Amino acid sequence: MHDGPVQDIFAALSQLQVLDRSLAADPTAQQRAGQAVRLLERALGEIRNFIGVFRPPGFERRALGEIIEGLAVQHETLTDQAIELDLPADLGDCALPTKIAIYRILQEALANGHRHSGAARQRVTVDRRGSSLALIVSDDGKGFDPQRVLASEVDVGVEGGHFGLRGIQDRVEMLGGTFAVDSAPGRGTALSVTLPAE
Amino acid sequence: MIRVLLADDHAIVLEGLRALLEGEPDIKVAAWTTDGTEVLKLVQQHKPDVVVLDLELTSIKGTEVITALRDRPAAPKVLVLTAYNDGDSLRSALDAGADGLALKTESPQQTLTAIRQVHGGQLVFPQAARRWIEGRGARTPGDLTPREREVWSLVAGGLTNPQIAERLGLSDNTVKFHVQHLFSKLGVKNRTEAALKYAHGSPPPGPPR
Repeated sequence: MHDGPVQDIFAALSQLQVLDRSLAADPTAQQRAGQAVRLLERALGEIRNFIGVFRPPGFERRALGEIIEGLAVQHETLTDQAIELDLPADLGDCALPTKIAIYRILQEALANGHRHSGAARQRVTVDRRGSSLALIVSDDGKGFDPQRVLASEVDVGVEGGHFGLRGIQDRVEMLGGTFAVDSAPGRGTALSVTLPAE
Repeated sequence: MIRVLLADDHAIVLEGLRALLEGEPDIKVAAWTTDGTEVLKLVQQHKPDVVVLDLELTSIKGTEVITALRDRPAAPKVLVLTAYNDGDSLRSALDAGADGLALKTESPQQTLTAIRQVHGGQLVFPQAARRWIEGRGARTPGDLTPREREVWSLVAGGLTNPQIAERLGLSDNTVKFHVQHLFSKLGVKNRTEAALKYAHGSPPPGPPR
């Protein structure tokens, strides 16, 4: 999403607050200005929840570790769900398609873990295994039956920018990686993905 | 009186913010510009206390402006004002050594508050930034020498190297040396990160998260 509306609303709010002060002698007018301020603040609040998601995170500029760290911080800021991040210091960088895939997959996995697990924290581990990169996203939340969820997602397609477990699997297979979900009701969830680094 | 310089590509934002700030009894807008390359010149001319700056400037990177400002004696405080509440903004602001981050997706009143806070020597960042920095640095603060701890507390208090030198009766160069060692031991890149880390890991060192 383009940030234009944010700039406009922020500017309008600034002006309205100036107006609000000058209306001290007219309570009715001031009340209306106050209402307009609250409406615009609410609109900003809603935009805040998804604007970060749609900004390309500088895949060319930033190494893999920084991209992942950024996503973890973003998730914590937006959700109050803590992320335990396990990144080796010497992770290095990887091919662009792999980097973008890991970003999208992690984003989706964290969103799923937030929406469905009920867990207070998620754990993210990224490591190099030979010529591959391994990503594991786990929680100790509710868990689910992966086969049932995967089967139910066949016809869902991409909805609201989310592509579900099936979307993660498709993305991984397209790049020649491996995909596994270890979960069961009441047992938490661990999603493991490996992708070729180069 | 807090003297503020505003730099933002969006003329409408600049105009709105200027009007809002001018109505505050304790704030004066010393200068404003939509051109990032102008910022350094204007700072030289007007010597503001606080620079409010969008990172997304067209002519020059906001982070470059901050880095250049940081190198000056009597550098103003820098508050980053951005539309993007994401890791990239946060990291850029921290890496460049800004004093705070305010969001255009929050009420402009929050920006006012943040201006006053950074002017008062506070670092204004989301909670997530602290956790992020906490997780960094291979060594624990336990490795610090008593002198380095002393320097750390003064850096966290917002003092510049010359001010620290005067306070401790040391030469500027000695302080610089201690600060470099301190940063490398803490695993931080600049004063902002060192100060944020101090808030959590200040002596005696707390248990690792």
